[in-house]
Amino acid sequence: MADPTAFYEPTEDELLSSLAVPVQSYNPESDADEYRRLQELEQHAYAQQQLMVAEQEQEQMQALEQVPEDVKRFLVLFHQAILENDLPTITNMYESGWNKLTQAHYSQNEWPEAELISPLVGNDQVFLTLYRELYFRHVYAKLQPTIDDRFQSYENICELFNYLLNSDGPVPLDLPIQWLWDMLDEFVYQFSNFSTWRANPKNKNEEELEALSEAQNIWSSYSVLNVLYSLVQKSQINEQLKAEKQGKSAEEVQELAGEYGSKPLYRNLGYFSLICLLRVHVLLGDPTLALQTMENVDLSGGAFLTRITACHVTTYYHVGCAYMALGRWPDAIKTFISVLIFFIRMKQYHTRSYQYGSITKQCERMYALLAICTTLSPGPSDESIMSIVKEHYADQLAVLQRGGDEALETFKDLFLSASPKYLNVNPPPYEDPSALESYLANPPIDATQRHLELFLSDVVAVKGVSNIRNLLKLYTSIDASKLVTFSEGETGEEEILQQLMVLKAASRTYAKGVNQETLLDGERIVTNNLDFTIDGSMVHVEETTSHRRFAGFFIRNAEHAQRVFNTIKSSPLPIQRKPVPSTASAPQTTDKKAGGAWQPKRARVAAQ
Amino acid sequence: MAVAVPKKNLSDWHSPSTRPEVIHELIHGVDRYNPTNLPFMEEYLLSQIKEGQYDLFANLAILKLYQFNPQHSNPDIIVHILVKALSATVHGPDFGLSLGLLREPSAILHDIESDDEALTILIPFLTNLHELVRTCQFTKFWKEFNGESEAASILKTRYLPSHASPLDSLRFQFSLSIASCFSTISLTQLSRWLDLPSGQVSQYVEQIGWSVEGEKAVIPKNGDNDVKAGVVRENVQLSQLTKLVAAAAY
Repeated sequence: MADPTAFYEPTEDELLSSLAVPVQSYNPESDADEYRRLQELEQHAYAQQQLMVAEQEQEQMQALEQVPEDVKRFLVLFHQAILENDLPTITNMYESGWNKLTQAHYSQNEWPEAELISPLVGNDQVFLTLYRELYFRHVYAKLQPTIDDRFQSYENICELFNYLLNSDGPVPLDLPIQWLWDMLDEFVYQFSNFSTWRANPKNKNEEELEALSEAQNIWSSYSVLNVLYSLVQKSQINEQLKAEKQGKSAEEVQELAGEYGSKPLYRNLGYFSLICLLRVHVLLGDPTLALQTMENVDLSGGAFLTRITACHVTTYYHVGCAYMALGRWPDAIKTFISVLIFFIRMKQYHTRSYQYGSITKQCERMYALLAICTTLSPGPSDESIMSIVKEHYADQLAVLQRGGDEALETFKDLFLSASPKYLNVNPPPYEDPSALESYLANPPIDATQRHLELFLSDVVAVKGVSNIRNLLKLYTSIDASKLVTFSEGETGEEEILQQLMVLKAASRTYAKGVNQETLLDGERIVTNNLDFTIDGSMVHVEETTSHRRFAGFFIRNAEHAQRVFNTIKSSPLPIQRKPVPSTASAPQTTDKKAGGAWQPKRARVAAQ
Repeated sequence: MAVAVPKKNLSDWHSPSTRPEVIHELIHGVDRYNPTNLPFMEEYLLSQIKEGQYDLFANLAILKLYQFNPQHSNPDIIVHILVKALSATVHGPDFGLSLGLLREPSAILHDIESDDEALTILIPFLTNLHELVRTCQFTKFWKEFNGESEAASILKTRYLPSHASPLDSLRFQFSLSIASCFSTISLTQLSRWLDLPSGQVSQYVEQIGWSVEGEKAVIPKNGDNDVKAGVVRENVQLSQLTKLVAAAAY
């Protein structure tokens, strides 16, 4: 494997340094002259700088006075907590304090610039970088980012990752996992947001065009992948996860993890980077690589990624989308349903989180994708979730099941509204004005459109399937020549036999089995209960029926009755107070909720 | 030739046994983004072609490198990868996955300043062939394939000769589709679908483990062509009852 530091090309460094120092050719003959001249220039510049600095300082002091007192106090305490790696306090300030202050003071405008508040935090560059990360995230979430914001946000996040990856040894910093996830999540979000914005050269002003032509590296796919892969390598996360799967002891894992990976900060960053890679690969249209990246990550109910709801939902959404691109509908259905069930259960605890809105939106998309997947691969699936799908997409489902051109249009609409926003790897040629012009005159198909076409070709390939399946349902055996007379537009027996082969293939697929470890693995399964064999030209139809399931119902209700019984048994006996008429307390004792048991207790306390 | 039975699982699809360890390391690490590996990867593709092997994931890694380094794109390699994907599976996602990593042919050619039109002609042709294959329109497929169009002749003169028995692998994939449906099938139908003259059909049929009875080919049972109606009964596991049993123990 390649040397990680070699892979982490110093693109940011180069970029920053090339901005700071103009490149000068070195000429040994006029060395002395040049040196003197430079010195003079420098002195002059220094004097001017001093003047400007003084002025700026004054201005800044004034501006700092404008910052509300509670914000200042917050920043000082926040800085303190981060210096002390005091996780509970950081978590609290990050999750609630920041949002409260945003609501109070900055719902319409930016937080104060980092330079402005730097005196408050002793000019601590690491804190200021973290602060800027929050600052830009707020700009993206609440305001319209300008091109400067986009560029500076990129430079800031690169500075942060540079600090984490290229310091001498692991940095003495610890942050709550929620923040680490949000940071990487935002990194990918801003990347995709920028790529979409950059992909369209129309409606850009001169200034923006010029900036884009000079900054090829900013938010490039390559640099984003670079950061994520570097975090993965530095933390040895794949090796750690593999060892944990093999059941190695905590000490052995620590040893494998090395000096970086054994620190929670790096381990968590590495872990979340894997999930961000999954996402980036899906966005760049490479579902196999996306699933391959996740080969060591556990996706089961208790996995680490489920600790953060946003991360859980994002992971499952993208895994499901990757499965869809592979035509593995049952796997996609399973993935979406499992996370949607989880989300419905968790919903009540999460309404406060600022990401609640975006999580809900992503879930909404999964219902739409479920409508697509269950049409293409009908079969039994979770009833509670499917009833929500039917509720939301009743009209669309009806059209999809009818088939024909109208259905194709509906497939298209649903896909466009619910699929990820695919990205092009390469931006338009901003650096070459003439090439840009021809690009504008003849724009290539955009990435989402390309993936839409691939998806639609999957749909078109199986468009006759549901008709012929419905026809077969009516028979136990039928000659192919007879089927010809029933189907519209088909000309001969050969076409019918070909259609039957397509039907056969559409009810077979590969799906991940229980004991298969990686997401890419799959066993051949039958997805539909209607099946058939062709003997010459005679089609024999066989239908597998399933009995109604009673046991689950009985088990659930017996357990529920047991719980109710236990609650009643363990509650204290109601002690009636004299003035309370017996008729009023009678219904309380039969009430199965805890309320019945709770009230007499208070009555007892009052009586004492 | 192997017996025509569909693969039971996907392990050979994502990690074929013929893949060398070096390639495995390469496509599982960050080195897959290193364009200096391109000649090496392309050589691996050419050896797949010559030996009649197939490694989709390695081929996708080549297309990925082209995606990131458009100036290194090699149209001939792209066509070979698509031909490989086309002849490797009837219903698998391979061809679509390869297309997903490609841009329009004209953009690819523009970036390498090539005026070789073969790619522009062949990609729509191969895409059309793929549509015919996945909808099992095998007769039509052979008609297009054997046709006189420019694309068909470029494909057959310039690309197919370097592939080890491309026709056999197409026929083999088609027989897989047939085998999953039919328990017996007329030889005349087979000769149309497999594009074999009636004299050679029975010989081919026996090669892939089927037998001939009169005018029909008999396909051995493979789980797909001998389906039986079944009844799925509810299956209660002891573990589901633990709570009830525990409650009864009081």
